[in-house]
Amino acid sequence: MPAVSEQIRKLVVPASQLRRVCQPLSKARPETVEPGEPFFGQQRAVDALRFAIDMEREGYNAYVLGPLGSHRHKLVEELAKERALSRPAPDDWCYINNFADPERPRALHLPAGKGTEFRDNMRTLIDEMRLAIPAAFEADDYRSQLKALEADTQKEVEQQWRSLETQASSKGIAVLQTPTGYVLAPLRDGKVIDDKEFDKLPEEQRKEIQAAVQSLGEELHLRIEQMPKLRKRHLERVRALDREVTAHAVKLLLDELRQSYHEFPDVLGYLDEVQQNIIENAQEFRQTEEPGLPFLKKDTSALFAAYEVNLVVRNEPDDGAPIIYEPNPSYPNLIGKVEHRAEMGALLTDFRMVRSGALLQANGGYLVLDIHRVLGRPFVWEALKQSLFTRQVRIESPAETLGFVSTGTLKPEPIPLDVKIMLIGERWLYYLLSAYDNEFGVLFKVAADFDDDLERSTDNVAAYAQLVKERIRECGLLPFRAAAVRRVIEQRARKAEDSERLSMHMRSLDDLLMQADYWARRRGAKQVAVDDLREAVRQKDRRLDRVQNRVVDAIRRGTLLVDTSGECVGQVNGLAVLDLGESQFGHPVRITATTRVGTGDVVDIEREVELGGAIHSKGMMILSAALSSRFAPHLPLSMHGSVVFEQSYSGVEGDSASVAELCALMSSLSELPIRQNIAVTGSINQLGRVQAVGGINEKIEGFHAVCMERGLDGTHGAIIPESNVQHLMLNDDVVASVRSRKFKVYAVTHIDEAIEILTGVTAGKRGKNGEFPEGSVNRKVEDQLIRYAEDRKHFAEGQDSDEQDE
Amino acid sequence: MSRTSDKRRILLAITETSPLQALWRAVVESLAGSHGELTTVFVSDDRWHRAASLPFTREVSKVSGDSENFTRERAQQIDEDTVGRTHRELEKLASEAELPLEFAVLPEHDASKLREIVSVQHDVLVLPSILKSRPIYAELTRLKCRVYYVDTEETTDTEE
Repeated sequence: MPAVSEQIRKLVVPASQLRRVCQPLSKARPETVEPGEPFFGQQRAVDALRFAIDMEREGYNAYVLGPLGSHRHKLVEELAKERALSRPAPDDWCYINNFADPERPRALHLPAGKGTEFRDNMRTLIDEMRLAIPAAFEADDYRSQLKALEADTQKEVEQQWRSLETQASSKGIAVLQTPTGYVLAPLRDGKVIDDKEFDKLPEEQRKEIQAAVQSLGEELHLRIEQMPKLRKRHLERVRALDREVTAHAVKLLLDELRQSYHEFPDVLGYLDEVQQNIIENAQEFRQTEEPGLPFLKKDTSALFAAYEVNLVVRNEPDDGAPIIYEPNPSYPNLIGKVEHRAEMGALLTDFRMVRSGALLQANGGYLVLDIHRVLGRPFVWEALKQSLFTRQVRIESPAETLGFVSTGTLKPEPIPLDVKIMLIGERWLYYLLSAYDNEFGVLFKVAADFDDDLERSTDNVAAYAQLVKERIRECGLLPFRAAAVRRVIEQRARKAEDSERLSMHMRSLDDLLMQADYWARRRGAKQVAVDDLREAVRQKDRRLDRVQNRVVDAIRRGTLLVDTSGECVGQVNGLAVLDLGESQFGHPVRITATTRVGTGDVVDIEREVELGGAIHSKGMMILSAALSSRFAPHLPLSMHGSVVFEQSYSGVEGDSASVAELCALMSSLSELPIRQNIAVTGSINQLGRVQAVGGINEKIEGFHAVCMERGLDGTHGAIIPESNVQHLMLNDDVVASVRSRKFKVYAVTHIDEAIEILTGVTAGKRGKNGEFPEGSVNRKVEDQLIRYAEDRKHFAEGQDSDEQDE
Repeated sequence: MSRTSDKRRILLAITETSPLQALWRAVVESLAGSHGELTTVFVSDDRWHRAASLPFTREVSKVSGDSENFTRERAQQIDEDTVGRTHRELEKLASEAELPLEFAVLPEHDASKLREIVSVQHDVLVLPSILKSRPIYAELTRLKCRVYYVDTEETTDTEE
């Protein structure tokens, strides 16, 4: 059996594997780099997006999954642009007055560019009509015709009265006028007779007079009844004249437009309606000087406004399909809205106040939306889905859609929709929508999944260097030295938490480059060097290290009890990582374990007090199983153990401490002390194998920082899973300490290796006799468990005899 | 009666159906910016009262053509309403123009009162053209003064 120290030495990770440096790029094979392909490494997402963009079938909208800052928008925009330029520009859309039902404005479409032209032509037409129609009414011809009509009517009225007066006079009756009517009075010698004179008349004459008065009264009644009819007939004649004059004035103007739009039947139909409406409302266009308050005067500009064209979607013929990104997809910004204007205390609207949203602006092209913004704004998600399902945009307020509003408002004609939606968002939202929204999968059939990182192959490193150069150029930064570029690549591996991969998170790459540029400029350099990158990283860490410093300080001052020297039974240094958003750091945490005879349960105190998460609890159960299956398998596990993260007052999650926890339990059982200058991380399976964990770099660095604070003496180190070695991209401090033999990193594959490092005692393998070697850790553990089992048995027997005695 | 040279005496004759605003414009024009005194005689049409004394007389509405009995009370009521309204409107106009106003009702058959009015020297007589057809017109035009005839729409200035 080899000596323990020799076995341990084999587990030490060489300094060269602690941080995989980037080799000079000249050794790479640049010919394999695709120039002008800025999204290398995202081929899956690129292919998916191209498929979505090319697939002209319903529901093939795309959801672009990827973290913020991965240049998802840029990729979508560039790929959409490739296709958009080869597609025809979609139609222009206008809202026009619906003369039959003004509350339901009509939608009219024209080829790209024609909408603007039509709107401008109608404006010109209105300007011309403003002059032409009043001018026609001012013309001598019209005035003379109008006067002739008035004279005719007046003559007719006068004739009516004159004939009545003549008729009355011939019968010796006068027609007297009172303020409110007429009185028929008999005359004698040209004078109205009174009752005395009347009584003196012979009876026959009196009867004649009375009969004449009655007959004339009836005639008068008939004449008065005729007056409104005369007036009405006169107005009809005037109206007919007005129509004739107006029709003559507008027909010439409209005919020119008809000629220009003879290819568009909808426009011709609309122009006919305009002409008809103007003629019907001819009298409204007469500018008469009417007395009254200024705000009650006739506003002819409002009359002419009925013929305006509300251009809601405007495209240019040579621009191809539109690509619209709506950064604030509120309901009105996405669907559109009907605006109102306040007028004398009332809110008024008409077809001119219909506004289009991003859906219509992107109609015939591509609309890019951030899903978290879509979901975060009321009613937007439902409205978007409804528009996609119905393939039309119906502009109405959300309150109206939900039936909360009963006041009358506009109901613009829906516009057919043909748009490709590109939703951009985080993965978790994609999975959430897939799980809980049945309609999501129907409408968004293409997932374009952005890779978080990229394999660190020679070709990819060269391509990544190219990308770095592109970003430097695009951000307007100082040139980077070759070594600095290599350092950037190393940092990107660190960001990916994997020495064999490179992070594709573009925003953090830009941040690193810009911050290095800042420090280079600050020292007056013309190029960015490796030191500038180091400074950028150091300064960023420094800006965010307040909490980390507090933890290290607490350990230094002994408030947080972590030993980094000496030995202790049942006590081990675990490693924890605190994630504070932009900042992640590791630090040691004391884990203790106690054991005694019991019924085979290992109490996880964190779980008991509900501070442990589900995964942590799972880890604890696995280590219990590992313990019971490895030792004294023929006996019931008769141990009671308890494990705790000392001085931990917040939640504990993850199973990365299960190796440390098992080591602490084994130490307690074997009564072999554990080295406190070594920290442990790794998860364990039921067979005792050690498995990879996350945050490996931060954990090692965290323990190294504490040890360095107290002084490294060459005995310090950290035990990690062997499968985590590939993830090591440790900082310069750790690498330097390892190079100078002041710190070690051990990579283990099995719990036996970890316990040997921690105790300095051979773990021991079960021999042919089925027993572990004498003096080995495992033998001591098993012996203790057998003793616990026997004790338990004796205890149980004692109890049974007591019960029998009783 | 003594009178100052810069004050104009104006006599305004008015009837039940006269255009008051037009008559007033004529009054203001006749003042020509000088001070004045205004005497208004409301010439009451006694033909209504005569007609109203007959039992079969009816008033036919201008608006509907419907008829109602035209009694003495109705004739009296029309007289009073018209006189009262005309008086109030004139008082308001005169007050705005700062013009002293005398207002009298003159039954057309009251010859003595008419003579009394005509006996006073006036500088201007303003009257509606409709009075030309009435017997009182001859008496009024005996006045040796400038006369303004007022139609419904137009004012005719006639020197007599």
